[in-house]
Amino acid sequence: MFRTDRVLGLMPLDWRLELTRYPVVRRLLKSRWMPFLLLAFNLFMFTVILMAAWVGGVGAGNYNFGIMIIWILWWVVLMMILVPGLSRFWCTVCPLPLVGEWLQRLTLVGVRHDPKQGNLFAGFKKRWPKSLSNMWVMNFLFLGTTFFSAFFTTRPVGTFVLLFSIIILSIVLSVIYHKRTFCLYVCPISGFQALYSNFAMTEVRVKDPTICRDHKSKGCVVGNASGYGCPWLLLPYKFTRNTYCGMCFECFKTCEYDNMALNLRPPGTDLLVDENRHLDEAYKAFIMLGIAVTFFMSMQGPWGFLKDWVNMATLPGYFAFIVLHAAWCLVVIPAIFLAFVWWGHRRAGPSEVPLKKAYINFSYTLVPLGLAAWVAFSWGIILPNGSYLFHILSDPFAWGWDLFGIAHVPWTPVFTGLMPWLEIVTMVVGLLFSLDFAYKLAVQTYREPAAAHRAAIPMLSFLTLATAGLTWLFIG
Amino acid sequence: MPESNLQPPPGRWGSALAWVLVLAASVFTIAAALLYEQNRVGDRRVIEIRAQAPEKGNFYPRRIEVVAGERVRLRVRNVDTVGHGFALPALNVGIAEIKPGEDAIFDLTIPEHGSDYEFFCTVWCSTEHMQMRGQLVALPAQARR
Repeated sequence: MFRTDRVLGLMPLDWRLELTRYPVVRRLLKSRWMPFLLLAFNLFMFTVILMAAWVGGVGAGNYNFGIMIIWILWWVVLMMILVPGLSRFWCTVCPLPLVGEWLQRLTLVGVRHDPKQGNLFAGFKKRWPKSLSNMWVMNFLFLGTTFFSAFFTTRPVGTFVLLFSIIILSIVLSVIYHKRTFCLYVCPISGFQALYSNFAMTEVRVKDPTICRDHKSKGCVVGNASGYGCPWLLLPYKFTRNTYCGMCFECFKTCEYDNMALNLRPPGTDLLVDENRHLDEAYKAFIMLGIAVTFFMSMQGPWGFLKDWVNMATLPGYFAFIVLHAAWCLVVIPAIFLAFVWWGHRRAGPSEVPLKKAYINFSYTLVPLGLAAWVAFSWGIILPNGSYLFHILSDPFAWGWDLFGIAHVPWTPVFTGLMPWLEIVTMVVGLLFSLDFAYKLAVQTYREPAAAHRAAIPMLSFLTLATAGLTWLFIG
Repeated sequence: MPESNLQPPPGRWGSALAWVLVLAASVFTIAAALLYEQNRVGDRRVIEIRAQAPEKGNFYPRRIEVVAGERVRLRVRNVDTVGHGFALPALNVGIAEIKPGEDAIFDLTIPEHGSDYEFFCTVWCSTEHMQMRGQLVALPAQARR
């Protein structure tokens, strides 16, 4: 299993299937109607979601279109399919920053371009502060939203408040700052997709770097009459990781030489790209793992007092939840992880690798494990609650409609007997990937094979213990 | 170097189509939903009653004024986390249980002879269940504007 050139000892790390070699895919990605048509559909969906969440008021959310589509369907599809399979494809079709982007471009589907000035934008076009050009804001915003998770996920008006706040914030920041600054550095949904997309099985990359090297006009960066320079403020010809690529496909439209590729690849290859790794991304991994545990315990666990705390039944209980949850994500998990990394670092023997470097590098082992924990958590959402979707699709505003004749399908949990097995399999698969990448990261960090072996043992122990703990939590 | 492969962006008609799609997805969707609902309800006045256990808020509103002869649609929405029932026996209206999050809709015409009609919950929803009740007060037809 532990081969440095293959994922799980099976798939070569450098295996790629270029999807854009198929003319239909290439044409699709070069067209300005992609992703516009998908965005228009999602605009329709989110219009209905916001309207339903608004007219749904303060009531219980199990028969509300907004609650059901966002927290049952979207979240599950995001964690189970989109992020592991299609990287940040949700960002491709996310309608939340649309208005802000249209206000910048002053066009819906066209391109405003001047041969001398390049792409034309409205707004103040400020640059985001350098000190905040990382994941810290997203880390704290996402953690902050989980303090109100009961309100956001069970009250229709809570879902409305959350989505509407994101839309307003994106509009304000889009007017002030350049391009997709909001998505890149602020959006709470963006951060975990950024980190977990390193595990995804798709990527946007350059086909032939020599073409880009010799190409002076760099349409993918500055834009041209066919498309915008990278809205995510990146250099597409230098893509090495999925992290900050929002998959808007503008670089496919602006590349004069069709030199951009959408590739299928083995999962997790970006976890081994030793470039721009920082503590903010490590903390994103800790926070996501911590939230998965807290969410499971408060939403699907048997601890009633915890539900009361999260539901703000009493103020002291609610504050206890916030303090413990924040401490768990920001202090306890990072500290335990540090202890294991430090142990491995000592076992590795004298080396020039700083402990911080080893700490950050090994944190990427938590990506497959964290994603698996979220997928396992998602089984517990979709299987018991998925049948609510029939009702709300037929009666989206709870006005007594029956558009498709399925409004009266009763709540019917499905395959819940299989749930523990699905959760076990999910966690075991996540563990296998995590162990595999832990070993590869140890070799990458310590170079010398014997030292890497010694350093990997504590990390493999941590991952196994964490998986055992999570599995016990899910099925215990 | 290979040959340039740029595609022109959509022209005027493309931009117009994009606007149509965006408006259809947003403004027209909201308008269509409201119009459809208005058409469905017709000339009935829609009265929404939120149902929660008495200690959490009871029926709201608990006193509803209608006019004798008026056509109304009662939408009883269970916004609680436990089931509630609804009965308005004098007008032969009721449902055994409305599950959490669900609602029940009753179309009725208020009788011409004005009176007060009591409604109440029919599910033992809490220790305060017996307090979960309200009144439909039918005003005389002269009150109609």
